[in-house]
Amino acid sequence: MANTKEYIRNKEGSKISKVVVDRDLCIGAASCIAVSGATYELDGENKAIIIDPNAVDDTTLVMSAESCPTKAILLFDKEGKQVFPK
Amino acid sequence: MDKYKYLIVGGGAAGVSAAETIRENDKEGRVGIISDEPYLLYSRVLLSKPNFFLGKIPFESVWMKKEEWYKMNNVEFLGGKIAKRFDATAKTLTLTDGTTFAYEKLLLATGVNAREWNVPSAKTADGKTKKGIHYLRTLEDGKGIMEQIKTAKKAITVGGGFISFEMADLLKLAGLETTMLLRESYFWEPILDSASAKMLEDALAKAGVKVIKNAEVVEVLGAESVEGVVLKDGTKISCDMVMCGIGVTYPLDWIKASGVAVQKGILANEYLETNLPDVWTAGDVAEYKDILLEERTIMGNWVNAKEQGRTAALNMMDKKTPFKFVSFYTTSGFGVNIAFVGDASSGPDRVIIPRGSPEINSYARIIAVGKELVGATMINRTVEMNAISKLIENNVDISAKRAELADPNFDLKKLLN
Repeated sequence: MANTKEYIRNKEGSKISKVVVDRDLCIGAASCIAVSGATYELDGENKAIIIDPNAVDDTTLVMSAESCPTKAILLFDKEGKQVFPK
Repeated sequence: MDKYKYLIVGGGAAGVSAAETIRENDKEGRVGIISDEPYLLYSRVLLSKPNFFLGKIPFESVWMKKEEWYKMNNVEFLGGKIAKRFDATAKTLTLTDGTTFAYEKLLLATGVNAREWNVPSAKTADGKTKKGIHYLRTLEDGKGIMEQIKTAKKAITVGGGFISFEMADLLKLAGLETTMLLRESYFWEPILDSASAKMLEDALAKAGVKVIKNAEVVEVLGAESVEGVVLKDGTKISCDMVMCGIGVTYPLDWIKASGVAVQKGILANEYLETNLPDVWTAGDVAEYKDILLEERTIMGNWVNAKEQGRTAALNMMDKKTPFKFVSFYTTSGFGVNIAFVGDASSGPDRVIIPRGSPEINSYARIIAVGKELVGATMINRTVEMNAISKLIENNVDISAKRAELADPNFDLKKLLN
């Protein structure tokens, strides 16, 4: 994948093992930050980065990915299968 | 007559967010979305982003919700339909094609329109907008621009806000000679100060974009297609493409005629209720009571639309929830990041606390009313956007914290404890 940043998630009981931010798609809309300021932050290039991949539960994490107007947040399960966007 | 438990007029971010929230809580109630566009939810914000336009990311990325989502969630999409009027007493809504629906709860999430250029010669003799003149609101607009970018050589942007700014970035990246015209004396006047705007102008100059301020177009040359423009001072600029980003208008005629109280937008309280029973509003068109800012305001950004759609839906389901949210938006271009948080407008009661400076190429203006913050503008400091949003949202008393706010090296997160 081009220009992506991957983050490993190892939260107890979570079905999601990996969170990826596609920096080509990210436009700094920051709706993910609105959902979880504990998980995301904007960096110096106005792109979202993850400060703590384990900060929130799966429901909130999925909500943050769904809030993105460019679907720049991708979620993967333990088998490496992409669970969001479907 | 078809009856909907929840009828939503508007198929954009607010309307679909509302439908989504309804379905999370009510699996049975019939939900319908009426949209004047034929498209399912797409990302309007992606339309002005270079990566999308120049094909760096696939066109398909624009779709936010596919047909299966609507099917699986039993949300009926009535695309290409225009609402004509509704009767809040009889609880019916009629389309321009004559179809009438009954509803229990109605949401008006109709958004806004791109303001049309009021230069008479922008139109041909038979009243059509000349070829080469573009606005940006819909996917159709976007497709038209993408098409012309392939062959155009010289472009002009008209307007001093984010549409012009983002489009200029895109046009320059596509290799077009680009000139920006604004009526104001600087970009985003008066929401930004001239010092912030100068940072943008320097970046534009460095990129080879010509900027003409205090400029007004009085004539558009060309019979069917634009060939150039003439300014008030007589300057002639040749071009084959014009991008107009001159603000928005609120199309409220049918809504007003149906008895809804309107001002600039549709008036609403903090529960996003309009003056009519069982009628709510959300998104760009909502002129709502903001309980954090303690004033009536309109916000035209993505996060606001999504959150208001959600909150309106909760209220439509009798889960009384006030809308309490600090919205923001960011834009980037020419190596500069700009963010607007909360209510960044100027006023006599506003105190502006500068943070950083143009000299260090990182400059924010934090806006306070009394003891609390209401908004901020930030150039190249968007990393702090979330901390400032939280300071506003939590009504933090900053009266004894002016020094910290003004110190660009102080971590604002410390003020949140």
